[in-house]
Amino acid sequence: MPGEDDSRPFRPKLRAGARFGADAAQRPILMFEDVYKSYRPGAPVLRGMNLVIERGEFVFFTGASGAGKSTLLRLLYRAETVDEGRILFMGRDVARLTPDSIPFLRRNIGCVFQDFKLVDSWSVYENVAITLEVLGLPQRLIRARVGEALERVGLDGRGSDPAGVLSGGEQQRIAIARAIVGEPALLLADEPTGNLDPQLAIDILGLFEEIHESGTTVIFATHDRTLLEVRPRRVVVLDNGKAMDVRAGVATEDDDFDNELPV
Amino acid sequence: MFDLSSATTRRAKRGLRREWRLHALSIFSLSVAFVCLATSLLVVTNLQAVEKRWSHAGRASIYLKDDATSADVAQLKDALAKVPGVNGVRYVSSGQARETFGKDEDPQGSLAALPAEAFPASIEVDVASDVTDESLTEIVAKLQKLPAVDDVETYQSWTDKLARLVRGGVAASAVLAVIVLLSVLAVVGSTMRFALQRRRAEVEVLRLVGATDRFVKAPFIVEGSLQGAAGAVGALAILGAMFLLVHSRVDGELAALFGVQPSFLPWQFALGMVALGAILGAAAASLGLRRLVQV
Repeated sequence: MPGEDDSRPFRPKLRAGARFGADAAQRPILMFEDVYKSYRPGAPVLRGMNLVIERGEFVFFTGASGAGKSTLLRLLYRAETVDEGRILFMGRDVARLTPDSIPFLRRNIGCVFQDFKLVDSWSVYENVAITLEVLGLPQRLIRARVGEALERVGLDGRGSDPAGVLSGGEQQRIAIARAIVGEPALLLADEPTGNLDPQLAIDILGLFEEIHESGTTVIFATHDRTLLEVRPRRVVVLDNGKAMDVRAGVATEDDDFDNELPV
Repeated sequence: MFDLSSATTRRAKRGLRREWRLHALSIFSLSVAFVCLATSLLVVTNLQAVEKRWSHAGRASIYLKDDATSADVAQLKDALAKVPGVNGVRYVSSGQARETFGKDEDPQGSLAALPAEAFPASIEVDVASDVTDESLTEIVAKLQKLPAVDDVETYQSWTDKLARLVRGGVAASAVLAVIVLLSVLAVVGSTMRFALQRRRAEVEVLRLVGATDRFVKAPFIVEGSLQGAAGAVGALAILGAMFLLVHSRVDGELAALFGVQPSFLPWQFALGMVALGAILGAAAASLGLRRLVQV
């Protein structure tokens, strides 16, 4: 049963899903069941939200500012807790994890943010390597894997540069390298292109697509309509505290939410 | 409690390097606190040495009554010479006592008018250093019963006074140790909380990538421990420098006065203080970081 023995800590192997049996591989990677969340009484951000995301999907979360995109992601990596309902990640209820288990959950999830969340005084290498240092990997392996990750995001040879002096686009690439270097099962991106110019935004989206092609499930929260139109993807629109699923992407005829998106 | 993996030590080194001014200030504050403790320990250990020396003073003065005859003196000398532990017996007449005093203490002769009773005749007894205070007290009790004996001075009262001083010093050291403990908790705790605030972004990133509390705290605890140990080492260095400065100037006078050469803290004490600093620093850092930045 999903959610059974939820207090067990996540203790992932480095490869996504390696710890879980064959049946786990058949389950959706993420299920939201009647999720409620409010910060103020009488003004819920999410009201009975239901959603299923399968393994290997690339899903856009979109909606107007304040629709709950960031809240949804914060609930996923347990920076917030649901008021009601369940969020099952790989069959386990995230809301019921003990505080000691939260770090192990986060080792399965890579996060990328609009404000990059880098340590400016650290080098590019240090910012990426920290993900693997937390796992206690030997330095030799860390060096090799960080090198690979930096190569994937186009920052090969920039490891020794201080992160703070790089451009916005490059800093976001560091954040992406940090998120993928541990090969997480799920990659969350919360407005990752919000601080970048349109061309850079498309480049960064391309990077996420490349990562997705290697099998990682990607959730990409954005209110930038142009990005949704780059390629047809599953789009989930958050509106009025609920999720409306548009599997074929916004470039289809089913466009009734379109007016609510900022242009 | 926490792992000392290479990642931890590397992060601690990085923290110390990047926040070196903050840590230097903290170490200086800790050194000042530890100097007080180390000074009191230095005084106590030297007082203990003086007490030990005087508890085996190796001499006693038997003051004779004015009417003691030469026969009484001769009988007393014979009796004393037979007591085990007595190495030598010497008679000092009233005139000799006045002469010695005049030579040593009153060369100007301003106290020449003092009456003869001010300088009673005495028998000076050299006692073996292995004779304990208790045995000497027993001998004194017997001597005091003799008719020719007026009083016996064994310097026991000095030893008692020194013992009381040492006890006072130990109590003062204990109070200072508590003050040092509180200082370390306050200084290291505040430094670590401040460092944590300055490294908030780092902690936030660590949380995001799945670091446990232990992983986040470990370098701060290492830094706190190093601060405590460095504070103690700094105090020892300051005290050592002061000791060397004063030592050469007053060494002779103190040795003449107390019969003991002043010495610096034994290495066991010094090592213990550094270890105490390290442990207190780690504990203070750990307590100061009870509530970490939550993400």
